[in-house]
Amino acid sequence: MIVCVAVIGQQNNPLFLQSFTQEDDDLKLHHIVHCSLDVIDERVNNPKRSGIAVNEAFLGLLYPTESYKVYGYLTNTKVKFILITADPEVRDADARNFFRKFHVAYVDAVSNPFHVPGKKITSTSFSRKLRSIVDNLGSITTV
Amino acid sequence: MGREVSESCIDALITEMVSSYCNRFYVNKPEVSARRIEAIGYQVGIQLSERYTVERPRFSEHLEAIKFICKEFWSELFKKQIDNLKTNHKGTFVLQDNRFQWLTHMSINASAETTDSSQQEPHSPNSTTLDANLLQATSMHLYFPCGIIRGALSNLGIPCAVSADASNLPACSFVIRIKA
Repeated sequence: MIVCVAVIGQQNNPLFLQSFTQEDDDLKLHHIVHCSLDVIDERVNNPKRSGIAVNEAFLGLLYPTESYKVYGYLTNTKVKFILITADPEVRDADARNFFRKFHVAYVDAVSNPFHVPGKKITSTSFSRKLRSIVDNLGSITTV
Repeated sequence: MGREVSESCIDALITEMVSSYCNRFYVNKPEVSARRIEAIGYQVGIQLSERYTVERPRFSEHLEAIKFICKEFWSELFKKQIDNLKTNHKGTFVLQDNRFQWLTHMSINASAETTDSSQQEPHSPNSTTLDANLLQATSMHLYFPCGIIRGALSNLGIPCAVSADASNLPACSFVIRIKA
């Protein structure tokens, strides 16, 4: 089950965070997302050691916590997408696919002329779209 | 699958935007209208660069990003690539478009058309005011594309200043100076 998705801006400023649990755990999730930023930094600055394809947007599994796994994706414009999932096993292909859809949804959201670049994303349709993408991935991984 | 936009509508919209800013909102304050138009371009550039870099690996150096602007970005906007790219390898790039879409409707003024000399000598006495007007109108139309380039590059992590030169219509060159 996907616990949370987040968008982090160029200056590591949080742009968007959506939790898919029923609990009131935003603070904890913010903390996990915040920790993942260091891992992203490390990956990007030492691409050789981490063994990912150089300059690919998808960064793979960033780090596992006790109960969650954190995946990352870094766009060309230095915007980070974070996925926190409670599933023990997520295939890379699924995660990649998820982030691709996520990215397209993000681009649509920031192309809104009333959106100010660098400010939090408040669009409800973005949040709705994300929910459907998340549900979609959820149905793949549970099958 | 990208959505399509009518070319003539965009041309008309831009002409109208420039004329609104220059002749209605900020009459006699060309530098303010220029700033406003550039700012619109800047935001458009940010949004477009976000869209056109989806599914691309990240750029590792400035030249790659500039090449992206010259090729893919320009093709998406104008269905053609930049015709000529020059650089001094010290952070200055000159992008030349031999037939810049948004200037194709600019009339080269009557005096310049009848006597070729006035185009080469823009300061000959009788054509000075005409040429000055033409030059100003042209340069107003160039703030928008300059803003687009600046927005796209700064969103890709390259802060820069962009200026344009269209002394040779309808060719146009954009000068990008990357801030160290």
